[in-house]
Amino acid sequence: MIVFDNVCFSYKKGEESLSNINLKVDDGEVVLVCGPSGCGKSTLVRCVNGLIPHFYEGELKGKISVNDIDVSGSTLRQLSKKVGTVFQNPRSQFFNVDTTSELAFGCENFNMSPENIEESINRVVNKHDMSALMDRSIFKLSGGEKQKIACASIAVEPIEIIILDEPSANLDYKGICELQKMIEAWKEEGKTILIAEHRISYLFPYITRALLMEKGSIKKEFTSEEIRSLSKDELHGLGLRADDAKDPTKLQDNSETVIINKQIDDNCNTQNESNDDVKSREYYVLKNMKYSYKGEKPVFDIPEMKIPKGEIIAIVGENGAGKSTFLRCLCGMERRCRAKLDIDSETLNNRKRRQNIYMVMQDVNHQLFTDSVLEEVLISQDKEDKEEALRILDSLDLKEFADRHPLSLSGGQKQRVAVASAIASGRDIILFDEPTSGLDYYHMLQVSDILKSLKEKGRTVIIVTHDTELIERACTQTFLLK
Amino acid sequence: MEYKLNRDIHSLLDPRTKLLLLFTSSIFVIGTAGEKWMSVFYWILVFLPVVLLFVEKEWKAGLISIAIYIGSFFAQRALQHDLTMIESVFALMLFILTKILPTVILARYIVMTTKVSEFLTAMNKLHVTDKLTIPISVIFRFFPTVAEEYKSITDAMRMRGIEMGAKKAGEAIEYRMVPLIASCSLIGEELSAAAMTRGLDVGKKRSCIWKIKFGLFDWFIIIFCFACFIWWGIGRFFV
Amino acid sequence: MEKSNRLNAKDLINVGIYTAICAVICCAVAMTGVIPIMMVLLVVFVPILTGIPYMLFLTKVKKFGMILILNVLMGILMWVTGMSFYALAVGTVSGLIAELIYRSGNYQSKWRGILAYAISGIYCWANYFGIFFNADAYFATRQKFGQDYIDAVTRMLPPWMCPVLLAVDIACGIIGGFIGTKVLKKHFEKAGIA
Repeated sequence: MIVFDNVCFSYKKGEESLSNINLKVDDGEVVLVCGPSGCGKSTLVRCVNGLIPHFYEGELKGKISVNDIDVSGSTLRQLSKKVGTVFQNPRSQFFNVDTTSELAFGCENFNMSPENIEESINRVVNKHDMSALMDRSIFKLSGGEKQKIACASIAVEPIEIIILDEPSANLDYKGICELQKMIEAWKEEGKTILIAEHRISYLFPYITRALLMEKGSIKKEFTSEEIRSLSKDELHGLGLRADDAKDPTKLQDNSETVIINKQIDDNCNTQNESNDDVKSREYYVLKNMKYSYKGEKPVFDIPEMKIPKGEIIAIVGENGAGKSTFLRCLCGMERRCRAKLDIDSETLNNRKRRQNIYMVMQDVNHQLFTDSVLEEVLISQDKEDKEEALRILDSLDLKEFADRHPLSLSGGQKQRVAVASAIASGRDIILFDEPTSGLDYYHMLQVSDILKSLKEKGRTVIIVTHDTELIERACTQTFLLK
Repeated sequence: MEYKLNRDIHSLLDPRTKLLLLFTSSIFVIGTAGEKWMSVFYWILVFLPVVLLFVEKEWKAGLISIAIYIGSFFAQRALQHDLTMIESVFALMLFILTKILPTVILARYIVMTTKVSEFLTAMNKLHVTDKLTIPISVIFRFFPTVAEEYKSITDAMRMRGIEMGAKKAGEAIEYRMVPLIASCSLIGEELSAAAMTRGLDVGKKRSCIWKIKFGLFDWFIIIFCFACFIWWGIGRFFV
Repeated sequence: MEKSNRLNAKDLINVGIYTAICAVICCAVAMTGVIPIMMVLLVVFVPILTGIPYMLFLTKVKKFGMILILNVLMGILMWVTGMSFYALAVGTVSGLIAELIYRSGNYQSKWRGILAYAISGIYCWANYFGIFFNADAYFATRQKFGQDYIDAVTRMLPPWMCPVLLAVDIACGIIGGFIGTKVLKKHFEKAGIA
C-alpha cells in the first residue's frame, strides 16, 4: 500500500513541483497518473521509488510510506527490494552490456541465490517469449526491444510495486503491444502498478483508476469507466493524447498513401499514383537510393522515387524497416549510400545534399552547439542577420528565450530551436526524425502547426514517425516503407 | 522452444586470469622489461591475444592483426638502414603499433567477453574495493555510448555545415565537446538513477548468476604468466 | 536527506563516466604523439582539453575520494594502453594532493578547483619518466628509428627539460582548468547541468 500524506516537494532550483498530495493506493491496484508535461507526474512516481528524496535533491515535506516503509527514513536500497521502475529512456537505464546479465542485475544486488535467479529468469523469458533477446548486446537492440528488456528485468525481481515512468515515449505500435502484455501479466500476479503517462488509451484495459495532475497537484480522479468514456476532444482538452494505439502502417485514410517497396525484386515501378491531379505537381526525384550494412543484404534499394514539392510527407513503416536510415541517407550523412537527388535542374550528391537538406534529429541535444538560442540561429544563416533571426524566433514563440542556453530549454523548445535554425539556413527540404516521441497533446499540436507553417513557407517536409495523431493532423501524404 | 539459462561462462578464461594476462602483457610487451632475455615469452605474449580472438571466432579481427604483424615485421626490416626524419616517424608509428596492438587486442577481448556482473564478482573475490570496480565497469559500459554520441554530434555538425576548419579551431572543439559532455552527463545521471533503483550500492555483498571458477586453460595461462615473472627475475638478479 | 560522507553508487558512476570522457579525449590527443614534436606537446594539449569535462566533474564532487579514484583509474588506463606505469604511481599521489587541496576549499572554491586540476593532471608528465630516468633503455628499444629521430627527441628532451615539462604541465593545467571554468559558466551552468 502506498500512502501520501500531505506531500510537498520542490527541486533544488525551481518552484514547487508537488503540492499537498494526499493519495492512497491499495495493493493490486493499477493507477494511471496522467497530465500534460510538467504537471508533476514523474515527480510523484519518483517519490514512490525513493529517487526523491534520496537521489534528486530538494525539499520534501509530508510523509510518504510504501508498504509500511517510510520513504524519507529508508534508503534507496531498502526501497529497491519492494519497488521496481521502468524509465522513459531505454538508452540510459541499463548498467550491464548484455541482456541476460541485465535481467539478473537487480536480484544479484540483493544477493539472491544464483539458482533462484536462474529459475526466475527462465520463468520470465518463457512467459514473454523472449529467448531471441537473450545473450545479446544492449547496444544492438532497437528501442522497443530495450524497453522489453527493462520490463523483464523488473519482472525477474521479487518486488511488489512497479513504477512505469512514461514507458511508451519511445515506443512504436508494436512496442506498445508488448508493453501491454507485460502490464497484463503483472496485473494478474497482483502487483501494484503506478504509471505516469500522457499517452493513455493503450492502458484503458488495465487501470483501476486514473489521477489527473495539473501544476503539481491532483486535480481530478477518474474511475476506469469514467476515463474510458471521455471523448477524444475531452481528452485533448485535458492535454492528453488520444491515439487509440493504431498501427500507422495500416493507416490508409485521410492522406494519400504511396507504397514504396524497399527491394526492387518484384516491381521496378515503385510508385502507385493514385490521383489525377498528381501529375500537375512538381517533384524532387530521388534516384539510386540504396543502403546496406556491411556484408548484409540491402535495407532498402529504391531505384527511383518521386517526392512531391511543398508537401508534408510522413514516412511510416514497421520497426526495423530502416526509416531512420532512410532519412540519414536522404540528407547525405551515410557515406555508404550513393543516392542522387534531382532538384529542378541540379543533381545533388551526398555532399550537396548535406548543404541543401536540414534534418531535425530525434535527439535534438546533438545538434545544438552554441550558448544562446539567438546565436544558434545566427550561425545557421549564410550571412548573419540579427533582425531576420529574431523574426524567425518570434514566429516560433522563441523570442523570449533568445538569450537562454539552448540546452536549458524543455524538449519541445529545443526542437523549435532546431527548426528555427533550419528555417534560417534557408534550405528547402527539412527532415524530422520522430519529432513527437514523448510529447503530450499540446506539444504535438505545436509540432504539427510548425510543420504546417513550414509548408506555407514553401518548404518540403519529410517526417519519419509512428505517431498516428500527427499524421492525421498534419501530413498530406504518407509513404509506407515496406 | 523452451528457454533455459546457461550459467556457464561463455568465454574461455576467468576474469581474474584475463587481468593477470593483461598485467603481464603490459609489463613485458609494452614495458619491454627484460629485453632480449625475455624474447621467447615476448613473442608468446604477442601472439596469445590473436589466439584468443580465434577462440572467440573473431576470424576477421584475428587475420587482420596477423596481417599487421607480418606487414610491420617486413617494414621494420626494410627500415634498418640510417633513416631520414620522415622514415623515422613512420618507423616510430610501426613500433608503437606493434607494441600496443597486442595489449589493445587483449583489452578489447576482455571487454567483449567479460560480463559486468562477472567482473564485479571476480574482483570482489580478489578483495578489490567496489570503489574501483564500479567505476571501471561504468567505463566499459560507457565507451560505446561516448562513441555513439560523438558520431551523432559529428553528423549534426556536418549537416549544419560547421565542420572542423583551421579558421575556427577553438569553436570547432567547443561545439564538439559541449554537446558531447552535456549529453554524456545526462545519460550518466539517468544511468545512476536506474542502477540505484535496482539496488546497486557500495560495499554490499552481491551474488552472480555466472559460474566463476578457474578451468584448465586458466591454469595454463596463470602458470605461463608466473613463468614470465620468474624468468625475468632470474635474468635480472642472477645472470 | 542523508548527507553521509560515504561514497554511494551515484558518486562512483559519476567517476566512471567522467573518467571515460577524459580517457577518450586523452586517447584522441595521444594518437598524434607519434610525431616527435607532438609527443612533447602532449603535456600541453591533454591538460588543456580535459579541463572542460574535469571542471564539470568537480561540480559533482562533494565527498572525499572521487578525485583520487579518477586519477587512479586514469593511471591504470594509461598503463594498460602503453604509457608507463609511472603514470599510475604519480597519478595516485597527485590525486591525493589534489583531493586535499579541493577539500580544503570545502569542494566549492573555484581557484582551488583549478589548482587541484592542475596538480592532479601531472600523471601526463609522468609519462616522460621513461625517457629521463632510463634514457638508454628507452632508446635501446627505439634504436631502429635511426639517429635522426633519437637526436630529435633528445634535443627536445635533455634532462633539464624534466622540471620544465612539469612546470609546463601544471601551467597548462591551470590554463585548462581556467578554460574549463569559462566553458562551465558559458554552457553548463546556463544549461543547468552543473
